[in-house]
Amino acid sequence: MDHTREILTFQFGTYANYVGAHFWNQQEANFRYGDEGEQMAEEQLPHNDILYREGLNSHNRTTYTPRLLSVDLAGTLAHLPMAGELYGNFVQRDVELLPFGTGEELEKARQRAEESGVSTSQQLDVKEEPAIEISEYQRDLMKNAVAPEKNYKLAETARSWADFLYSRYHPRTLNVLPGLVRDPQHQILSTYSAGEDLWKETAFNDDLTDRIRLYIEECDGLQGFHMLFDIDDGFGGLATKCLEHLNDEYSRASFVVPLHYPRATSYPQADSRLSHCIRVANTVLSYQQLSEQATMFTPLSTLETIWRNTNLKSRNLSGMYWQADNLYQTSAVLAAFLDTATMSYRLRDTPESLMRFCERVTPSGRKMTAAGMALPLGLGDGQDLIEFLDQSGDHALLTQLSPGCEPGTSYVIQSVTARGIPLERLKRPREQAGDQMRMAAYGCDSVSQMLQLYYQCSYHGSVTNAAASPVSLKTQLPFPFEMFGRGITPSGFRLPGEAMREQGVRVDSAPVLAALQNSTKLGEHLDSLHAQTHRVQLAKLQAYSSNSGLERDEYETALDHLLEFRDLYEDSQYL
Amino acid sequence: MAAISLLNPKSEIARAAQALGINISAATSLQKLMASNLGPKGTTKMLVSAAGDIKITKDGSVLLSEMNIRHPTAAMIARTSTAQDDSTGDGTTSTVLLTGELLKQAELLISEGLHPRVLVEGIMLAKDCALGVLDSLKIPIPFERVALIPVAQTSLRTKLEPGLADMLTDICVDAVLAIRGNGETFLDLNMIELMEMQQHTVLETQLISGLVLDHGGRHPNMPKSLQDAYILTCNVSLELEKTSVTSSFCYKTAEEREKCVTEEHRFIDLRLNKIIELKRQVCADGKRGFVVINQKGIDVPSLEALAAEGILGLRRAKRRNMERLVRACGGEALHSLEDLQEEHLGFAASIREECLGETKFTFVEHCKNPSSVTILIRGQSRHQISAMKDAIRDGLHAIQNAIQDESVLPGAGAFELKAHAELQKFKHSVKGKAQLGVHLFAEALLVIPKTLAVNSGFDVQDTIVKLTDAQREAEGAVGLDLATGEPMDPIAAGLLDNYCVKRQILSSCSVIAGNLLLTDEIIRAGLMSLKG
Repeated sequence: MDHTREILTFQFGTYANYVGAHFWNQQEANFRYGDEGEQMAEEQLPHNDILYREGLNSHNRTTYTPRLLSVDLAGTLAHLPMAGELYGNFVQRDVELLPFGTGEELEKARQRAEESGVSTSQQLDVKEEPAIEISEYQRDLMKNAVAPEKNYKLAETARSWADFLYSRYHPRTLNVLPGLVRDPQHQILSTYSAGEDLWKETAFNDDLTDRIRLYIEECDGLQGFHMLFDIDDGFGGLATKCLEHLNDEYSRASFVVPLHYPRATSYPQADSRLSHCIRVANTVLSYQQLSEQATMFTPLSTLETIWRNTNLKSRNLSGMYWQADNLYQTSAVLAAFLDTATMSYRLRDTPESLMRFCERVTPSGRKMTAAGMALPLGLGDGQDLIEFLDQSGDHALLTQLSPGCEPGTSYVIQSVTARGIPLERLKRPREQAGDQMRMAAYGCDSVSQMLQLYYQCSYHGSVTNAAASPVSLKTQLPFPFEMFGRGITPSGFRLPGEAMREQGVRVDSAPVLAALQNSTKLGEHLDSLHAQTHRVQLAKLQAYSSNSGLERDEYETALDHLLEFRDLYEDSQYL
Repeated sequence: MAAISLLNPKSEIARAAQALGINISAATSLQKLMASNLGPKGTTKMLVSAAGDIKITKDGSVLLSEMNIRHPTAAMIARTSTAQDDSTGDGTTSTVLLTGELLKQAELLISEGLHPRVLVEGIMLAKDCALGVLDSLKIPIPFERVALIPVAQTSLRTKLEPGLADMLTDICVDAVLAIRGNGETFLDLNMIELMEMQQHTVLETQLISGLVLDHGGRHPNMPKSLQDAYILTCNVSLELEKTSVTSSFCYKTAEEREKCVTEEHRFIDLRLNKIIELKRQVCADGKRGFVVINQKGIDVPSLEALAAEGILGLRRAKRRNMERLVRACGGEALHSLEDLQEEHLGFAASIREECLGETKFTFVEHCKNPSSVTILIRGQSRHQISAMKDAIRDGLHAIQNAIQDESVLPGAGAFELKAHAELQKFKHSVKGKAQLGVHLFAEALLVIPKTLAVNSGFDVQDTIVKLTDAQREAEGAVGLDLATGEPMDPIAAGLLDNYCVKRQILSSCSVIAGNLLLTDEIIRAGLMSLKG
């Protein structure tokens, strides 16, 4: 079949939108417009129509926007109007950004409205909220004057994901929860049940389901959904309810990514102990739903573990440095993983589909998988992949990005995707091969083949699916390029020894290896979650008992289901 | 010292007079905020958000939900009045005004030492009396176009410019009459679809005796317009869905692969053939069109097959539209194509597709006796359209309320004036201090005509004296003429309000005012502070 096999993406929650913003920025950084210097085989490029749609705005201009539905709290959009910036229907408050010769947009809108007769007295009483200050990066972006060498210090200054969003959204994309205003201290939508209740609100539900329907109506061969959501707060309830709706109505594959905040979350009217309990309860309820509804789900966080991690011990990618609790930086790491891991079914001409991809790594109902990534890959400057893999020895290439998940190195089922390794860096040609000739992998002619062989040899009793694309991860603005240490070359390779990159030169792109893994050891992740539940006393959770009717039974059932789900990870179940 | 502060030194307490003060100031400031909206001469507000989003509204409930109210008392009043709006579609502003006025009047009496309990008793007595007056003012109306027009007109004229309001009045009344169908009194307003198109001006808003769908055929060869078309409404998947087991097919040659693909699609083809067969059978003469409107998806090969037969196929129809389609065009919504018959088909005289930007609209028009219709709202910009939508919704609700009550009330403040006069008489039959409560309630009711006068630019005292005088002399209802500031007969002028809205305003205001007056302690002590 030669028509596009679209994927619709959902982002529920603030952190999900952070990760999403980086994800879409990455997509657009990799757009190719006609003939560019570097030549790559067509079929190895990502097929952008899978995630993007073409449209036409009211000025008859073609638009290309993500197939995306985003839900967030009020106040996170910052300068973004609800309908996005491409289709009009808002007034530009910032006079500086208006084209020359225009201005007084608000005045004009008022006049037009008065003339149209939507008021009784032909008069409108204008109530203006103070205009929000547009971040420096966005301002330059709108003026088309982004200086690639300028340091916008986004890590410190970004107030919200809207501040570093390069991508532009469709009017259908943004949804704001009525009446829930973002509070930097607390999670306003605190509990799973509160999220579920939101979904049941008629006006909100009608609007959201209608937007889903309109997106799907225009798809010729929808293959499934990507869904990112914040699991720590009430967005879990909203997301799982939405997933249930998608399964009922459209029955497609769904790859769900629950995201944990890289910081301790606190809830209104709760101290740290209660906050912990609420978080555990939210996670239990979401996991239970996901184990039934999702085709595959992969919890992501840059933290090592999410339970009792008071000093925010973070995962470590060698050569990368970031602040453990910075939303802008950590979300970029997670987005890099998502973009790489999902690459294999987004390539042009690939026979792979989201459904097959998910099912391959989720045998016998083990729907939870773990994430692993190497960013940058660690390939030395001037080194070939064959040598790199040979010398890597026993030490693992990948850093885990799922909290508390260590899939181990034996009896693993995994899908590995490598990107940004040019074919000429695979191995040296026969004449200069030297030692490489003696390695078994010298027979491999592609990156994916070589990875396949590598994992066959180094992981005992495992099944690996490898895929590769020469498209590297673009790490220019608005990606947090400052995370790279000095030991990395501008094209993302490791400098030998103590050598340093020149001061002031930034890393532009990097090769990445990402994997989705499944093994019996993931059961431990569920065990640790279950261990936390002993401390939860539901009766004390005011947030749960008072305004939303979560019944004790309901919670107990969820726990039982979770244990049943954990049983699937027992060894005896192994295929 | 309150007991709670012994247990929790961090808790914040406001007692007796202080608590009352908080409640009263919140209620009156909310009242001030909303007062300028009341009545046809009230101002319409244009809200511009920080990011530049525009919202035009005069609707109290929209305003209340737009302003994120933090003050607990104000939030309580706001919630009551939005609840009022949810059930009857109107009366938010009045509820806020009346509650605020009740508390404002009570402040003085309480500061003079009257116990709130006694006051509330009086208010409740007065409310019951006022409800009696309300019943006496009821004017029964028949379910007829002529009788419903003034009701809708009164409601719409408070929101929109008169010319536009009158145009919409006809649209709303005709829409309601259409969906009434076989004369049941229960009306499902969901059967009136509100569809919006951002083009032309609001004056091009029209009533479509049929349906407008916000999607079109997804194949270039499908017909763009059809006459005398049969309509098949179904909820049957015409595309491959995910298999519940992992599957793949193996093939050696290109022909084998072809075969596998066709085999996989065979189930869908069987369904398609049923549709095509029926189409050939009923459209044998070639003059009539055929449309398939499916709630599920239709994939590309199926679209191609339909297009080859000249069938217009629409996929992913709104769930609610399935019922609407059946009511508009007749036929039946099918969940399986097992025994597809001609009688399952609906009919529409004209079907056409219109393209606006990236959105296609399909008009299913000229149906036989449709009991589901569409109001197509047009406007230059999204905020104009949504202002229209709010107004139309209110108009439809006003008609629905009138039909359900089978009666209406004289408007223009007539009820409040009448109730004021009656309560003044009733006051003397009440013994003791509760009298004061009755008096207070009577005075508070006058806030509605007063605000109407203020908003129209008349002198308040002048107008009220004129009105109460006229009321004393007149037998029937007396209302305020907003054009002249003189008393007039609202029934003759065709200003009619809903009975159930007023009824609900009276009861919710008295209850909420009672609750707030009786509050003698406000405590804020969260769990956070308990940990101290």
